[in-house]
Amino acid sequence: MFNRTDDKITTSQAGVFLTNTVLGAGILTMPRSITQDMKTPDSWLTILLGGIIVMLAILLMVKLSQQFPGQTVFQYAGRIAGKFPSKVLCLLLVVYFILIAGFEIRSLAEVTLFFLLEGTPIWAVILPFIWVGTYLVLGGINSIARVFQIIFPITILVLLASYGFSLRLFDINNLRPVLGSGVLPVLHGLKSSVLVYTGCEVVMTLVAFMQHPHQAVKAMMGGIAIPFALYFLTIVFVIGGLTADAVITSTWPTIDLIRSFEYTGFFVERLEFPLMVIWLMQMFCNFCSFFFQASLGVSQLFKFSITSVIYVMVPLIFLAAMVPKSIQDVFALGDAIGTMGLTLFLLLPVLLSFIWIIRKKGLKQHV
Amino acid sequence: MSFLSSIAHHIPDWIVFCQALIALLVPILATRIYKTLHSFVGTGKNLDTNKVSQTLESTRAATPFSGDYQTDLQAILSKIGSNSDLHTREFPLTKLNARGTLFCVDGMQNERILNMKMMEFLMFKATGDVLAEPSKAEDLLPFSSLSTISDIDNFNRSVLFGHAGLLIEGMPHGLLIEFPNGANRSIDEPVSEALIRGPRLGFSEVLSENTSMLRRQGFSDQLEMKSYLVGTRLQKDLVIAYMKDIVNPDLLQEVQTRVNNLNSDFLADSGYIEQLIEDNYLSPFQQVQNTERPDRVINALLEGRIAILLDGTPFALIVPVTFSMLLQTPEDYYERWIPGSLLRMLRFGAAFVALMGPALYISLIAFHPGLIPTELAISIIETRQGVPFPALIEVLILEVSIEILREAGIRLPKPIGPAMGIVGGLIIGDAAVQAGIVSPFLVIVVAVTAISSFSIPTYSAGVTLRLLRFVSMMFAAFLGMFGTILFFLLLCSHLTKLKSFGVPYLTPASPFRATDWKDLFFRAPLSLMKRRPAMLKTKDSKRKS
Repeated sequence: MFNRTDDKITTSQAGVFLTNTVLGAGILTMPRSITQDMKTPDSWLTILLGGIIVMLAILLMVKLSQQFPGQTVFQYAGRIAGKFPSKVLCLLLVVYFILIAGFEIRSLAEVTLFFLLEGTPIWAVILPFIWVGTYLVLGGINSIARVFQIIFPITILVLLASYGFSLRLFDINNLRPVLGSGVLPVLHGLKSSVLVYTGCEVVMTLVAFMQHPHQAVKAMMGGIAIPFALYFLTIVFVIGGLTADAVITSTWPTIDLIRSFEYTGFFVERLEFPLMVIWLMQMFCNFCSFFFQASLGVSQLFKFSITSVIYVMVPLIFLAAMVPKSIQDVFALGDAIGTMGLTLFLLLPVLLSFIWIIRKKGLKQHV
Repeated sequence: MSFLSSIAHHIPDWIVFCQALIALLVPILATRIYKTLHSFVGTGKNLDTNKVSQTLESTRAATPFSGDYQTDLQAILSKIGSNSDLHTREFPLTKLNARGTLFCVDGMQNERILNMKMMEFLMFKATGDVLAEPSKAEDLLPFSSLSTISDIDNFNRSVLFGHAGLLIEGMPHGLLIEFPNGANRSIDEPVSEALIRGPRLGFSEVLSENTSMLRRQGFSDQLEMKSYLVGTRLQKDLVIAYMKDIVNPDLLQEVQTRVNNLNSDFLADSGYIEQLIEDNYLSPFQQVQNTERPDRVINALLEGRIAILLDGTPFALIVPVTFSMLLQTPEDYYERWIPGSLLRMLRFGAAFVALMGPALYISLIAFHPGLIPTELAISIIETRQGVPFPALIEVLILEVSIEILREAGIRLPKPIGPAMGIVGGLIIGDAAVQAGIVSPFLVIVVAVTAISSFSIPTYSAGVTLRLLRFVSMMFAAFLGMFGTILFFLLLCSHLTKLKSFGVPYLTPASPFRATDWKDLFFRAPLSLMKRRPAMLKTKDSKRKS
């Protein structure tokens, strides 16, 4: 057919979707949050370790989703765990998505107010942003995936270029000694390093939208490998450029790194400007992804039309973004979201797969 | 207790809840307005088909020729005889021993030839069999065509459209001889799409000339043209042209349906058709490309697109269109690939400047002077010192005057145009700086923006960008860089939702089609372009065997 009527996304779109969902506020804050927990420059090891754990988790989620082709977690959870318990679990997931969306948009507003628009009321930053997001989300997963595809290469290009330019500050000695305090701090930072990957739960809905679900493993592994590599680069460059001690005291260490050098003679002397631009666009992707997932969840759980659910989501996300009173609250919310993500991971894919295996293999039921 | 109180502490106050309510209401209202507007006008896709066919039926309700010479003559004259430009001439046919009448309209026929040759033939040579069976007798006729017509209303319409008509005693139908031959202009270079290198041929107002130009592009039996009559009151010919072995049949079906659904009493220009068949009339972006160049049309046909040509206009339409097509010119392919690619990338850059230039100026000057190099910022701010307006008003003054200048330049007679350019551009610009209304730096920005928008090869796309430039300025004026980024995201969201005849508007950038990237920002060497664009899902995808 010439006109596509099915709302499916291609393999590469699915990969980019996951990348853009995971790559969010973390780029700016992650070096601090991990180093704070560890107090050593070994955070890059933690990121590697955390990444591998997340990859395994994603593999599990993909495999589980592939058992129910064309269905999202909101639909197949009921078939595995029964109607009521699955509804509770999925609602938790929806709340989690709303909270992340609110958190992302709030950190975006904080950064914008701090660096770009001092003195502007916060709602004036948040409201237009949510509305533009609403316009995009109303277009369905295909439109969202296409916007991601446009923004993704710009992001990567600018991000890598800014890191490349920061090489003049880079000092390998800042990353030494490797494992100077032993392996223990690395394990200690593991929790916060897994938290940077929050949002990878979207895999459980994404697989259902794929045109070729059998390529899901490839797409999702590719999709998570990119933020994995970028986070690794970020932490190496930020700590290598600023030292671990400086990173702990800075609120937005990545921006501080980019602000701390100048290339005179360029039209834009400091690269913080392009970095802010792509980061804002990236946050938009991020936010839209969670916005869409939350709306999709509610509409599939309760059989509402997705359009009306999207409208109702708008004030909910706005409230979620406005609840933290201060920037400390925002970071506390971020930590809470991380813990919630871990719990949800244990509850949803792990528990569901467990039940599914028992019912399928043990009780020989047809699920 | 402390847990509860901390929750209570975090419940936002009522202002936030009011804002949340606003957050809810604005998108709902916006959608409501959008939907109302949409259902009010409707799109090209879903017009009421029944209504159209009914109106056509009613206009075609026919009165046939009775066969009685006097009655038919009276019937014709009573219907169209009051036209002062209609000439009737009654004459005897000696061989048939009958009378006949010739009808023709002023200015549409070569009167001398009509009088001399045809009259001689009709009066002295014409026999019953020759006129009764035109197909057999064509060799004998001194005129190029002869056809019978059995319905008086149709006969009247054809005569008034310029055919020469004949009514002969004893024949139960009218005869049409000679095609209309009205006033035309000669074929010219396409005015709106000039090239340095490449064919200079442009379409004219005559449909048959335009289709012949397409045919003359090369030998092929696969170039198919289907003709339609459009318009309910003043009917016109419309031709859909495509390559039979390339075009996707579903796409062709879609175009035919939309053309069949056209419902308008008169289609003055292909612009009417464009607006009646487009997917989304609320979008600022055109979803149909118009062109005056036959070479552009034929290239589009070979990519698997479809062209729509209308009688009476030199602008052909090409569907489906994607955004990148609007920034490409045929010259990209006529020049060698390196300059072709570079010029194309330059044009993409120019389109970006044309869209975002003033918005970036406003956000950098009014909101974030710290983001540009300090010395530059200081010198800009120094020049702005005497300017009493905020950046937005300053930009608006200059931008609006540039737009007025441009609009005036189009309407002015050719000899005055450049003079006005000098007065408008140089004198007013300089005087505005001297008078301290705008800063000299802004004059540079606005001039660069204007020149950038001139470099966009499709005029209507240029208009779209000019219009959106003002929107982007508003966003920048409210939220600075943040607003500009929001505008960009909004534009991206809109463009990704937009489709032209089922093809996403931003293909191949997104949905990503790697094979089509050879011809996006970059024009690969011709020897590498072995396939037609994948987005059009053509029957035959290979350009080379």
